[in-house]
Amino acid sequence: MATITASLTLSSPDLTSDALNLNTSTTLTKAGTSTGLSQSTGIARKTTEATATVTLFDGADYTDNMAGKIYIKNTSSTATEFITIIMNSEAIGRLYAGDWAFLPYGADADTNDFKYTPSVSTALTVEYALFYE
Amino acid sequence: MARTQATISLTSADITGDPLNLTKTTLLTKAGTDTGLDEFTGITKRIYPAAVTDTVIAADADYASTTVAHKVYIANDTPDNLTSYITIELEGNILLGRLYPGDFCFLPWAGTLDIMVTTVDPSVCINYGVFSQSVAS
Repeated sequence: MATITASLTLSSPDLTSDALNLNTSTTLTKAGTSTGLSQSTGIARKTTEATATVTLFDGADYTDNMAGKIYIKNTSSTATEFITIIMNSEAIGRLYAGDWAFLPYGADADTNDFKYTPSVSTALTVEYALFYE
Repeated sequence: MARTQATISLTSADITGDPLNLTKTTLLTKAGTDTGLDEFTGITKRIYPAAVTDTVIAADADYASTTVAHKVYIANDTPDNLTSYITIELEGNILLGRLYPGDFCFLPWAGTLDIMVTTVDPSVCINYGVFSQSVAS
C-alpha cells in the first residue's frame, strides 16, 4: 500500500513574544487503520476565467466517512485575487494569492461537495489534489 | 507587522507511478494585502475527559468576518488509538471531515460560522490555533 507523508511547519519570529516553530508530520492512512491511503487524483491544476462556482470533488464519487485529505492552492500572485472554498453551499474561507490549505474530506453522503468560487473573471489557476481510500 | 510562514510538504514514492514531492510555503497575510496577520490564539492543547459533541473551538462572534484571511490549524494528537477520530464541522452541521490520530489540517476560515469538533472517545487530545486579522480588510 502507498505511503504518503504530509508535513507542516508554522513559524514566526514575531507574531508573539514567543517565537512560533511548530513542526508536525503524518502518514496519510485509511480511516481507523495504519494502512496507507491508496488513491490520488494527482496534483492537478484548473484555470478559470469566470466567477462561476467550480465543483472539484463530488461527495457521491467517494466512500462516506473516509479519511480523505484535500490539498488546494491559489497560485495567483495578485494579492487581491482570492478563491472562496465551499463545502456544499457554505463558505469555509478564502485563499488569497499564494495561500494553500490542507483539510480533511469526509465525503459524507452525496451532498458533501467540495467547491470553490474565483473572485475574478480573468485567468486564475488553482492547484489541487485529493488523497483518498 | 508579524511575519508568519506556513509550509506544507507532501511526499510519496509510490502513490502513483510519478513520485509525489511537493513543498509550498505561504506568508500569512491579511486579506488582499501584503501585511501579515496580526492576531494568534497560540496553540491550544485540550484533552477531553469524555467524548464531546459540537464543541466550539473557534467562535465566529470573536472574529472579524468575510473579507478576512484567517487560518486555522487543528491536529489530533491522541496517542495509541487508531480509531479515536475528531470530526471537524462548521456551524450548521457542515461536515468537513475526520482527523484520525496524527492527522492535522490547516484551512482558511471566513469567521462567519463557528468551527466545531466532535470526538468519539474519552481522552482525545486536540491541538489547535487560529491565525487571524483583527479587522476585516
